[in-house]
Amino acid sequence: MSFLAPLFLVGAAAAALPIVLHLLKREPEARVKFAAVKLLKHAPVEHTEKRHLRELLLLALRIAALVLLALAFARPFFPGRAAAATGGVTIVALDTSYSLSAPGQFARAKQLAKDAIAGAPAGEAVGVVTFADEAEIAAKPVADRVLAASAVDEAGVGFGATRYRAALSAATQAIGSRSGTIVVVTDLQENGWDAGDRVSVPDGIHITVVDVGAPPPNLAVVAVRPQPDRVIATVHNGSPNARDARVHLAIDNRPVGETTVSLGPNQSSDVLLAAAPRGEMAAVSVDDPTGIQADNVRYAVLGGPVKPTVLVVSGSGDLSREAFYVQQGLAVGPGPSGGYQPVGTSGAQLSTQGGDRLATHAAVLLLSTRGLERRGREALAGYVRGGGGILIAAGPDIDGEVVADVLGGSSTLRMEVPEKGSGVFSSVFRSEKTPDPFSGTRALAPADVRHPVFQAFVPNTGSLGLVAFQRAARIDGTACQTLARFTTGDAALLECPAGDGRALVLASDLDNRWNDFPLHATFVPFLHEAVNYLSSARAHAFEYLVADAPRGVRKVPGIATINDDKLGGPRRVAVNVDPRESDAARMSVDDFQSAVTRLKDAGASEARVEAREQEDRQHLWQFLMAAMVLILMSEGVVASRTA
Amino acid sequence: MPWAATERSFLDPAVVARLGTLELKARTIVEGFLTGLHRSPFKGFSVEFAEYRQYIPGDDLSTIDWKVYARSDRYYVKKFEEETNLDCHILLDVSGSMAYGSHHGLSKFEYGACLAASLGYLMNRQRDAVGLTAFDEDVVAMLPASSRPGHLRSLLVTLDRLRTAHQTNVAKPLHQLADTLTKRGLVVLISDLLDDPAEIIRGLKHFQFRGIDVIVFHVLDPDELEFPFDRATRFEDLETSEEVMAVPGAVRDHYLKQIGDLVERYRRELGASGIDYQLLNTKHPLELALLSYLSTRARAL
Repeated sequence: MSFLAPLFLVGAAAAALPIVLHLLKREPEARVKFAAVKLLKHAPVEHTEKRHLRELLLLALRIAALVLLALAFARPFFPGRAAAATGGVTIVALDTSYSLSAPGQFARAKQLAKDAIAGAPAGEAVGVVTFADEAEIAAKPVADRVLAASAVDEAGVGFGATRYRAALSAATQAIGSRSGTIVVVTDLQENGWDAGDRVSVPDGIHITVVDVGAPPPNLAVVAVRPQPDRVIATVHNGSPNARDARVHLAIDNRPVGETTVSLGPNQSSDVLLAAAPRGEMAAVSVDDPTGIQADNVRYAVLGGPVKPTVLVVSGSGDLSREAFYVQQGLAVGPGPSGGYQPVGTSGAQLSTQGGDRLATHAAVLLLSTRGLERRGREALAGYVRGGGGILIAAGPDIDGEVVADVLGGSSTLRMEVPEKGSGVFSSVFRSEKTPDPFSGTRALAPADVRHPVFQAFVPNTGSLGLVAFQRAARIDGTACQTLARFTTGDAALLECPAGDGRALVLASDLDNRWNDFPLHATFVPFLHEAVNYLSSARAHAFEYLVADAPRGVRKVPGIATINDDKLGGPRRVAVNVDPRESDAARMSVDDFQSAVTRLKDAGASEARVEAREQEDRQHLWQFLMAAMVLILMSEGVVASRTA
Repeated sequence: MPWAATERSFLDPAVVARLGTLELKARTIVEGFLTGLHRSPFKGFSVEFAEYRQYIPGDDLSTIDWKVYARSDRYYVKKFEEETNLDCHILLDVSGSMAYGSHHGLSKFEYGACLAASLGYLMNRQRDAVGLTAFDEDVVAMLPASSRPGHLRSLLVTLDRLRTAHQTNVAKPLHQLADTLTKRGLVVLISDLLDDPAEIIRGLKHFQFRGIDVIVFHVLDPDELEFPFDRATRFEDLETSEEVMAVPGAVRDHYLKQIGDLVERYRRELGASGIDYQLLNTKHPLELALLSYLSTRARAL
């Protein structure tokens, strides 16, 4: 038994109080010279032994009550089995990502894992964690190593990508507050650490990395882009030598074409497979019997929009004239299908048509509120409340009140946009010497670099600071999170919740009018990351990575059907492996270790938290208090009989 | 309870205990007591004529002066100064048990001695002959009854010299004294009566048999009546030194029943024999005992 507040046990010393008081107050035997002693002679005499027994019982009851009170205040609990174990723990973290799917690679990894289990110090509990995109405790740490070995035997290579963060977090959780060792059996892929990824491990846990070895030379299909008259596939040669790759195309599981392409060392190349893609699904595969197997085939859905659409609301709906940079920036890029398809509309058109088709768009970019009447505002508000994402560029064509209507009252967004042309918000109430609060060159700096919008810029977020903002609106909102600020201290980018959806509000335009953002290399990545983030709440894509597969879809590569009532019923999507996992770039063990942050006293903190949770679950103090009350009641009864 | 019915303010025994000599105590008690009597019912038995008073219904017919009636054809009664030749004997128990007393107040012996002195003072003042016999298991001091003016001092000196010491045997001195008294009178017994009740009652009846009126003052300490002890105590007998270890909480009920039964027995059996019985708690005023005495005296004359 352990105690949450053991200092209260000092209070148990109070149990000595009745004894001390008894000793202090003990008086010499009373003697009285009395006249009527003869009348006492025949009185019923209480046997001394019986009285002594009752007094001892009373004393014991009182001491017990005090001890129970002290114990109750000390908050006792029985530690869990894991915490009760005093020995160390060895957790073998086995990499099951598809980069180990080359022939013999995973068998070697399993053998190394078994060796690690066998080599664990005697007396230590051994557990197994398998990991790829996610980690799973395959065998809880126990002394029986056969269980751990059988868990390794049962493990199979999957289709996920390596994520060391998940592995170390799960292993640390399995070890709990004890000391131990995490043995990571992996092929040390560099992509296993995401950009900026850091994981914290308590100081008392030792990390050992067992290298499975580099994967063999590999060919991989990293992208498939169906076109109206052909299918374009990107094939990557991950080996240090030039190779000829034999590429096959199958539509609806029927081979329709094949070709051979020569690839230089570590080179990618697009392959044109000239066949009219008529059918529902296409699969492009490459012959690579010795390399990684899971990336030899890639799937694509035919017939659906290749690119997810983004609705861009401008003054007239003519994107080439009013949103040229946005249009071009969205159309290109590294999205799953090669970017987004911008769809232009005006506020007036939106107000006329309503929001019937809004749900089909992955996101909405609001560049102008001109002509956006009540119906259009309500359509946009409904879209956002229903889980949609909207990017608002607070440029010269934006009216703050209209934006507030669109986002609803819960966003608490306030926006002051400078008057168009004059650059003066209100010259009547401002003296000549007062500087224009909206003017002046300023730069942008991310306030929260961990936000997905800035994912593409980590660790070089300073590149965003090269953009010069000459004018900017004032944006503010108590319920909004400030993602970036200008060098003047004003908010530059806000994220505001609105119903189930979200809104990103940029305090300037996206059309090279108040800033030169579109002229910088950071513009397109920013645009894509923002749209990716805004559209992530809605399932619009027709291609998913295995790790991002929607609910109800098996996490294996292939074609799957999902039901989307908002898009009018079931639709087919392609699920493919993460092409980054095909990258054979490796890191050293030291690089791996350097990504791990050591936390001092983390073990003690975890132990305290675990102890508190155990105590909360057990509530032993309540039973002790109840016992104390019962004892006090018994004491009352015995005392009344003794008196 | 006789003292509860009266509205007199009597001297608290604790106050009496602080007075100097026994004579002073007796005089203070008696003078205070007599001053408080507005209309004494104890006139009419003196030999010295005091006055005539017209008869009113209720007056004793024997007091009517028939000669005056013959001369005046009216009823007159004769009033006399109080003066009798009653022989009173005070029997004071000086056994060891009488030495018991609570922490504040008089011991039973002191209370009894004070009562005896007061009675002697009162009797002497009324010109009754008063004698004193002190006893434990035997007669330890005896002063014959006399109404001489200097006799009171002898009585007080005798009382002052008495000490408690030995065991009690109340019946024995009672019988001895009953045999020696030849003249009818009044015997006042002051004792805690912690002896064989049957023997004591038999001794008292001996006086009755000799035509002597008896008044018994049963003097008990509040501790003996209430048994207020609360912790385990070793009780040592004042006379025999016998010890009894008792837990008051356990024996209280039994003891109170025993003492209650004893008092009730004396009250019942003595009352049945025509003997006045008065239980005196040493925390109650002595004047109440004087009242009781005077009532009995009136009946004895």
